[in-house]
This record gives sequence, structure tokens and C-alpha cells, in this order.
Amino acid sequence: MLTAVLLPYNNQNQYESMYLLISGSTSGIGQYLAVQLSKEYNLILNGRNGEKLSKTLNLCDKGKQHLIWKFDLNNIEHLDSNLTEFLQINNIQVTTFIHCAGFLKMLPLKTMSLNVIQETMNTNFFSSVMIIKTLINKKANDSALQNVVQISSTASIRGAKAFNIYSASKGAMDAMMRSLAVELAPKVRLNSVLPGGVQTQMTDTMFNDSELIEKMSKDYPLGLGFPHDIYEMVNFLISEKSRWITGQQFVVDGGRSINISA
Amino acid sequence: MENFFNEIAELLEVDSVTGNEALNSFKCWDSLTILSIIAHADDNYGITLTAAEVNNAKTVNGLKDLFVAKKA
Repeated sequence: MLTAVLLPYNNQNQYESMYLLISGSTSGIGQYLAVQLSKEYNLILNGRNGEKLSKTLNLCDKGKQHLIWKFDLNNIEHLDSNLTEFLQINNIQVTTFIHCAGFLKMLPLKTMSLNVIQETMNTNFFSSVMIIKTLINKKANDSALQNVVQISSTASIRGAKAFNIYSASKGAMDAMMRSLAVELAPKVRLNSVLPGGVQTQMTDTMFNDSELIEKMSKDYPLGLGFPHDIYEMVNFLISEKSRWITGQQFVVDGGRSINISA
Repeated sequence: MENFFNEIAELLEVDSVTGNEALNSFKCWDSLTILSIIAHADDNYGITLTAAEVNNAKTVNGLKDLFVAKKA
């Protein structure tokens, strides 16, 4: 009888000072992921607002070590040097990176400004490139990176009015993810999660609209989604259960994007 | 608010407005233009508008009144 020995492709737990970095950890899906994952992992919480970062840190499990990296990802030119310095000062390595930071400004192309385009691309796409680049670096992170999960969007593969540049930024993220999954294999696995409309603090006012709730329950065969639904997929992708999965886009949207009923 | 008419003319894709025009008389009046006005109000005046409020303003002057009322 053949017995398969499923060894991880990368040696997880090799680093005692192993950290999981969450960008955009102060609200919505990012904050929910931080609170849940803080029970099992040492976290680096990234955000641009110090007050919100402290608040998120307070919500995290106290059994593990958690650090705050306050940095606005729109400040793209200083991102790699700032992150490198942060890792060196704290003498830690990041093995897992979850990119949750997202900037969405719904505008038709006719009123879209270059500033908004740049901020969207900086926060959603360029920051992910520069963070991954830093984390695979020997000097900055002892090349410790093993796993990346990017929170993308169904806007990456479908279209909607006023989502133009946001869609482009998420599509760029996902396209890069696929090529890096090949380039950085077998050491690093990279995947994207594409959520549909999820109820968070950010969309609370949206979801207070009973008309919209009615429309959404029609569009979403499985009804409304919650941050926990995204967490379950992310938790799977950063675990060894998904050791043979890389370079994929996972749609988690209650069936919204495959629903063609009128 | 002194540049209001110029800003609105820009968003409505016309050279100028006098104030009495009905909003739905503009060629480009649609949900995306309403979205642009909501974003403009947020970015430049720090006020939050809904699509229904913008629609209910009826005219350019009505829109100006809405901005002034929200700003107060």
C-alpha cells in the first residue's frame, strides 16, 4: 500500500519570531481577520491611523505577540525602506502576508482625476508589489516569506459602473499574483480571495438601506455575506491544508457572480 | 460657494449654468453624474448627500440650496 507523506513545500514554523503581516488591518475584513488570526499567529497590524491601530490591537488575543506598523501605503516611495527598518528594529521575520488594504472611490471615468487613479493603484496594487518585494529580500526579511493572500474583489473579473480604476487595480493585483506564484515557487504560495459585497463597518450605511438589502438578497443566491465567510477562506489558504494550491483566484460571493437570473 | 455654478457646469458638461435649469434637462443627467455630484460635495464641501436628495433638488438653484443647507 502506498502511503503519501504530505510534507509542506515550505518549512513553516521554522522561525520562532514568525509574524503574519496584515495590511489595512484597522477596518472591515482586515480588522476581522486580525482579531480572528491573533489567536494563532503573531501579528503585525498595518494601517495609517494610530488610534484605529491601537483599537484593533486591543481587540486582538493577548496570548500572542502583536506589533503595530503605522504606515500609509499611499506613500509608496518610502514603503520598502520603512518596512525594512521596522523589521530590523524589531528583529523579526514575516512568513505570511495578507493584503487587505483597499481604496475605493466610486467615480465615473469622466470625473476621475489622476490623483484618485494614483492613490487607488498605490494602495491596492503597488503597495502589495513593494511589500512582497521587501519580504522575499534576504537582508530585510531573511527571505522568510512563505505565503501571500490578497483580498481582491469580484470587480477584478466582472464589471460595474464607476468601478473602473478599482477594477483595474484589483485585476493588476491578481495578474501579478499568478506570475509570482510561478516565479517564487516552491518557496512562496500566493492566492487571491475575491469577496462579493460583505457587511462591514464601511458598508454599514449601505446595508441600512432596506431597498438595497432586498435587491441584494435577490442577486445573492446564498444571501448576504459576512467577514467570517472571507476569514474561513483566508484561514484555509494560509494553512498547510492548501499546500498544493497557488496562483488562484477564489470567488467568495454567495453565488452573486454566477447568477444570471433576471 | 462663489464658484458653485462653475463647478456644477463642469460636472454637467456645459459651459455655464444660470441656476434655473431643471437638472434632468441636461443631456448628461444620469446616475453617474449624480455620483459625481455626491463625490464633489464630499471632497470639496465635506458634506454627505444621497442620490435621492440630489434628485429631489430638481434645479441647479435647488442643488445650491441643498449644499448650503447641508453645510450649515
